[in-house]
This record gives sequence, C-alpha cells and structure tokens, in this order.
Amino acid sequence: MEVCNEKRADLLLIAGDLFHRQPLLRELKEVNYLFGTLVDTQVLLIAGNHDYLKKDSFYRTFEWASNVHMILSSKVTSVKIPELSLAVYGLSYHAREICEERYDGAAPDGTCQYELLLAHGGDEKHIPFRRKKLLSLGYDYVALGHIHKPCDMELGKVPGTGSLDTAGIEGGDCGFEAWHRSRMAYSGALEPVDKNDTGLHGYIEGELTKKGCRIRFVPCASREYVHMEVPVEKQMTGHELKKRIRTMIEDRGTQNIYRIILRGFRDPDVLFDLTDMDSWGNITDLTDCTKPAYDFARLLKQNRQDILGRYIESLIGYEEDSVEYLALCEGVQALMETKVTR
Amino acid sequence: MKIQELRLDNFGKFTDRSIRIGDGVNILYGENESGKSTLHTFIKGMLFGMERGRGRASLHDTFSTYQPWKNPGYYSGALRFESGGKIFRIDRNFDKNAKKSELLCEDDGEQLSVEDGDLEVVLGGLNAGSYENTVSIGQLRIETGQPLAAEFKNYATNYYAAGNSEIKLEKTFQYLDEKRKRLEREIKDSLADKQARRERMEQEASYVWRDVHRLEEEYSRITEEIRHRQETDEQEETENRRVIDELRPKKWRIHPVEIVVFIVIVVLAFILIAKPWNYLVSIIIFLTCGLYVWNRMKVGKRQEKTPPEIILEEITPKEETIPMEKLLWERDHVGEELQEKKTQYGNLKEQLDEFDEVSEDYREYDKRRLALRMAADKLNELSGELQKQLEDRLNGKASEILGCITDEKYTRLLIEDGLRMSVMSEGRKIPLEKLSRGTVEQIYFALRMAASHVLHEEEYPVILDDTFVHYDDIRLANTLRWLCENRKQVIIFTCQKREARLLDEMGIMYQERYV
Repeated sequence: MEVCNEKRADLLLIAGDLFHRQPLLRELKEVNYLFGTLVDTQVLLIAGNHDYLKKDSFYRTFEWASNVHMILSSKVTSVKIPELSLAVYGLSYHAREICEERYDGAAPDGTCQYELLLAHGGDEKHIPFRRKKLLSLGYDYVALGHIHKPCDMELGKVPGTGSLDTAGIEGGDCGFEAWHRSRMAYSGALEPVDKNDTGLHGYIEGELTKKGCRIRFVPCASREYVHMEVPVEKQMTGHELKKRIRTMIEDRGTQNIYRIILRGFRDPDVLFDLTDMDSWGNITDLTDCTKPAYDFARLLKQNRQDILGRYIESLIGYEEDSVEYLALCEGVQALMETKVTR
Repeated sequence: MKIQELRLDNFGKFTDRSIRIGDGVNILYGENESGKSTLHTFIKGMLFGMERGRGRASLHDTFSTYQPWKNPGYYSGALRFESGGKIFRIDRNFDKNAKKSELLCEDDGEQLSVEDGDLEVVLGGLNAGSYENTVSIGQLRIETGQPLAAEFKNYATNYYAAGNSEIKLEKTFQYLDEKRKRLEREIKDSLADKQARRERMEQEASYVWRDVHRLEEEYSRITEEIRHRQETDEQEETENRRVIDELRPKKWRIHPVEIVVFIVIVVLAFILIAKPWNYLVSIIIFLTCGLYVWNRMKVGKRQEKTPPEIILEEITPKEETIPMEKLLWERDHVGEELQEKKTQYGNLKEQLDEFDEVSEDYREYDKRRLALRMAADKLNELSGELQKQLEDRLNGKASEILGCITDEKYTRLLIEDGLRMSVMSEGRKIPLEKLSRGTVEQIYFALRMAASHVLHEEEYPVILDDTFVHYDDIRLANTLRWLCENRKQVIIFTCQKREARLLDEMGIMYQERYV
C-alpha cells in the first residue's frame, strides 16, 4: 500500500490467491481497511484456487471499499474504469480445480483504450493456457498469478541470473529487474511462503502507455529461502565446517533462511554433528550428502579378492541418488569403520 | 613365526633348563615321563598365559599340574621367537604372587605390553583356541572336534570370508545394525513430532468445531425466540380484536358512528315509547351508552400497573425483555460469526488433509533405511559366498594333504556342515566312523594342516606331541615328507626312534634333542 501511494499508482492488480485458504471475515475487513488507505489506486482482484469462492465464502457478500473491484463471475467478465479508459478482464475460481481452458477464447471486446487480463493458474488442473495463445488475444498486459516464483512469460525471464537455479544470485543487472517491454508475467508471492520457495520475491511494477507496456520486477521480500550447497573437503573438521557455514551465511545475508546441503568428500573418520551447525539460527534443514572419501575404484582394485572388493563390485555403477549407491556408501563405510587397524 | 629357544627357569620338573629349537624338523626325544608334554604345555603357557582356576577346579588344572616341584613360588620361564624378521622374547612368571609377563623386542630393545594385546599382534592374531585347533597337536587328542567347527565358522565369517584379516564382519553388521536402529529412532521421533503437531492442529479444529456448535445453537435459539415473539405478538393482537374492533379504525377509541347510533337509539326510544315510560327507558339507555363509552375510554388510557404486575416484571429474565431490534441484530451477528468459524474450520480441515500427504522427509528416511538394509543383506550374501569358497578351499587342501599321506588312496575328503567328514575311495563314500583309528587321525591331521594353511596368514610352527603312534611306517614317512616340504618349522615330541630313522632313510635333515 505504501508503495502504491508513494508511486501514485493507478492500479493494483491482484491475480488471485490473496489468501492461502478461505478468508475469514475479520481478515477481509483488515485487508479492506488497507485497501482503503490507498489514495489514487484502484484495486482489482480475483479469487484463485486457494481462496476460491465457496458457497458461503465471505467474498460473495463482502462490501469492499469504493476503490476495490472484485470480479466474482466464473466466466471471464470485465470491470471498466472509465476515468482510466481501462477495462480489466478476469474470472474467479468457484472450485479448487478448473481443468477447462477458460482464458484461451476470452478475447477483449475492444471498447476501451486499455485492456488488461487478470489470470490465475496455468497448470494442468488450474485453467491451463498456452503462452502464445494468451499473448495473441490482444490484451495490453496479462497479470498472472498462481505460482509463487516471479517469471516473465513473454520473454521467459526470472529474476537473478536468468535461470531457476538460486545458488548464485549476485548479478541483478539482468533483464527482469530492469525496465523492459513485456505483455505477460507472473509476479510471484510478495514473500516466500514455503521452504522450497527459493529465489527473489517481490512485485511487478508496470507502466501502460499508448506505446505499450513496460514492466520491471521489484524485489521487496524481507527474506529469502536459500538452498545452499556447502562444499566439504577431505581434511575438513566439524569445527571448520561450522565456521564455513557461518561465513557463507554471512556473505549471503543472515536475514535469509537456509536449507543447506553438504557436498563433497569428507574424512571417513569424521562424523559431523549436524545439530551444532546453526550459528545464526536460520537453518531449517541441513542434509549431509557428503561421501566418505573412499575411492571406490581404487578400493575395488586393491580388494578384488575380499568381501570389500566384492561388495563394491556388486553395487558400483548406480546413480548417485539411488538406494544402491547409498547402500554402497553405507556398506563400505561400515566395513572400513569396523576394520581393525594393526 | 618360529620358536627359537625355550628357557624353563622353574616349570614342572624342569629347573634352569634351556632348549634351542632350529628351523625345519626338530625331534625332541624323551622317554615316558621325561617331560615332553610339560614342554608342550610350557610353549602354550608362554604364548597365551596360564591362569589358575578357582576353588575346586584349581586342584587339577594345568596350573597346578605344572607347578614346579621344587620352589613352587618361583614358577617362570622365557620364550624367544622370531616373527616378521624380528626376535622377541616373552618372560612370564606364573606365580600368583609375583605374576608378570613381559614382551621385549630383542632387536630394537622395545618393550611391548602383553596386557595391551601387543603379543597377539606380534603373533599375527593367533589365539589359544586357534592354536589348539590347528598347529598344536597334543597326545591322543588329534580330533579337532566341535571347537574347530565353531572356530572355523568364526574365521569363515570374520577372517577369511572377508578375505582380509582386518575386516571384522561381525562388527560391521553390528555397526550397520546400530546405524539402522539410530535411523529408526530418528524416524520414530520425527513421526512423533509430526503426530504432536497434528494433534495440536486437531485440537484447534475441535475447539473451532465446538465454537461452531455453540454458535449454531445460539443462532437457532435466537431465531426461535424471534419467531416465538412474532407469533405471540400476532396472537395477542388477534385476541384483543373483536368484531367491532375489526370495523373500527385503529386510531379511534370510539367510532363516531357508534355515538350517532347511540343518539339515534336514545331519540327513538324517547319518541316511540309511550309516555311516561319513555323518560325512564331513554335515561336507562343513555346511562348504558355512557357507561360503554366511559369503559372504552378507560381501556384506551394508559393502563395503570398493579403492584403484582410490577413484581412480575422485575422477576422475569432480562432476555425476555430484550427489545426486538436487539434480538435481530444479535441474530445477524451470531450468524456472521458462525460463518466465520465454519470457514476457519474448513480451512483447518484442509490443512489437516494436506498434512497427511507423504512428506519429502519421510521418503528420504525410507531411502536411507532401505539402503542400510540392502547393505546388510548384500554383505551377508557375499560373506556366505565367500564362506562357501573357503570351505571349498579347505576341502581341496585337506584332500590334497590326505592324498599325500595315504599315497593317493583317499584323494577326496568331504567336509560337511559342522565338520562332519567322510572320504571318497574308489567312488564310494566312507564315513569317518568306519575307518581305522590311524586313518581317522590322518584325516584330522590333514584337516588341521589345511585349516592352518587356509586360516593363517602367518606360518606357525607345527607342534606334534606323540601324534604318530597309530601311523604305519609308510604313512608316517609320507607325513614327515609332507611336513618338511610344506612347513618351515616342525617340533615333534616323541618317545620312539621311528621318526628319526625314517627321516634318516629319506635323507631329510633334522635336529634331534633329548629331553
């Protein structure tokens, strides 16, 4: 709301799933109050698959502030805002899943100068659509909702380095955060809502003129979920690892929440105490995927005759994430750890 | 490993006696009771120690048997041996008061500790059981019997089945089992944690449900109340209205027509009825009408409350006196709240349903558990295979030795579970019980030598204490030839001259000493 007022935005588009579940009346009142604080901004919203219009949904009867327009119909209909010479098209979910392709045939009627579509879904069970088809319908801009990650659907851009990989967001001068022409995008959630919801989160700022639509992604989430791989070396001790995790988190930002995967090879004799690695208290998940630094090929060569060699032989060559591979590691480790050294 | 010297400071009948043992075949000749078995026991005692039994058992145990005849408090000796190119010396004093055991490496002067297991390490892992079952063959005790079978099983899984003496499979399985248990505990904890969270959520849902229920009741109560009130209001009204009331407009207490009718009646009565009665009738009618009008006017006035009525009003519960508007407002409010709670309940239900979906964590746990089980199964399977191979090797080796001894009469020895043995001769399978004493001893000898060959990485001296009594000359010669060709050090205790003679005949070098 602050941003809208600061930038004197004409329009705030909410493409569904304002709530994760059915909204309570008091929640709607709260939101409505917030919308009411907007000075120049008209709010347009639809219901998505999570807050879909149940029979007794409060959405149906709620009286919004005068600047809030909710599209309640389950068919694509429009709300016209004459002072902006604008029509916003959209529909609300009346069920949790809609498998019909309801957007594909919903072209604007061309009575207003500017025509926008508020659309929600895009996957198999939530109004599937084809990107090209939607772009060809003639809307000036299609604001998409449903997935939590921001994504420019005309150019196929996501924030960061341009790939969905979250490990190395350093750049920032990539396409999505800079002003560029686009007619369709997912804005994603304002804040990440799940531990797998990695990457930047924020909103999309857009400018619609006679020349067309320009948008940019503005990251504003106060924290990020980060999946971070921490490399482990053969001679690393638990203390060293803890220090490394700490500095890596400090480098990446202590406000973020981390899911850490340890990768690499560790000293077979070292067993890391995973409960003691959370220096900043912001690690949700710490998985030790390190392999004891056994060189299976070499061990196999040296021990071809004995049980170790045979064991390796019987299980080698499986995928790294298969049960067999894990069994190989466990078995070899067990054999090596219990070995009597003379 | 080779034994080099036995030094008996004070052991059994020996005092201050030293016996040197060389490479190859050593014959220690002595007449009966000259102390051959004492020497045999001495070697074992030096290598593995000798404990005094407790209580009654101590009367006849080895310790007491070989306690020095003279000076029993001084009960000690030393053994020099070579192992891995170094000369070691074990000094032991068996006496309970001055008990000590020392291990010294004579080459570099390093003092090793017997207590810490250094001796076992120097001996290449040989323990008393294994020693007794293979290389040390006592008087008339050639059968290895059950202990070897057990020993063998142990070795099979631990020592050779692993193919590497450093691998201890038993411990490996234990390790895997512990890891599995730890994992299972972890899974259990995480499930319990999840269950606790679920229960909390369910509890919340149940609270909300209770609220929903309460609100529903309240809602229906209020609706009922409102309906009731409306009904009674209507009833009261209809009761109060009479036929005339129906005709009369509500705002009039007395209709003007009534007054007109009254006047007409009075006038008519005055005119129609003959005088003087008309005065009386008219007055009566007038008074009656007046009474009616007065009565009507009185009903229309604010009714004065009588004291009982006031009391009644005070004791009636407040709700009944709640005005209708408030009731209606309340109904709307409760209805709204009810819908809110229902929505909340629906949301919680949804959340619970999602909660039941199999989580990623659980899949990961499952994978790890499967992996651990697979590792244990696989190792088991492989060790079984290796054990089978080992048994085949043992069979092969024992058959080979037996073939040598018996001039290829018995070339095939069958060792089955629990070391039940039989031999093949001319295509027939002959169980051990049907063979002669000598042959049985030869079979066990072959088995011991094969076991030593298969099980021991390091070669140990073979110690034979009057073992060959039942052997004929030919087989004894064969046995001796095999021994001197295949073993680096052989110590034969004997009370016969046969062995020396046969070795002489075969032209084999040997060292002979008299005990």
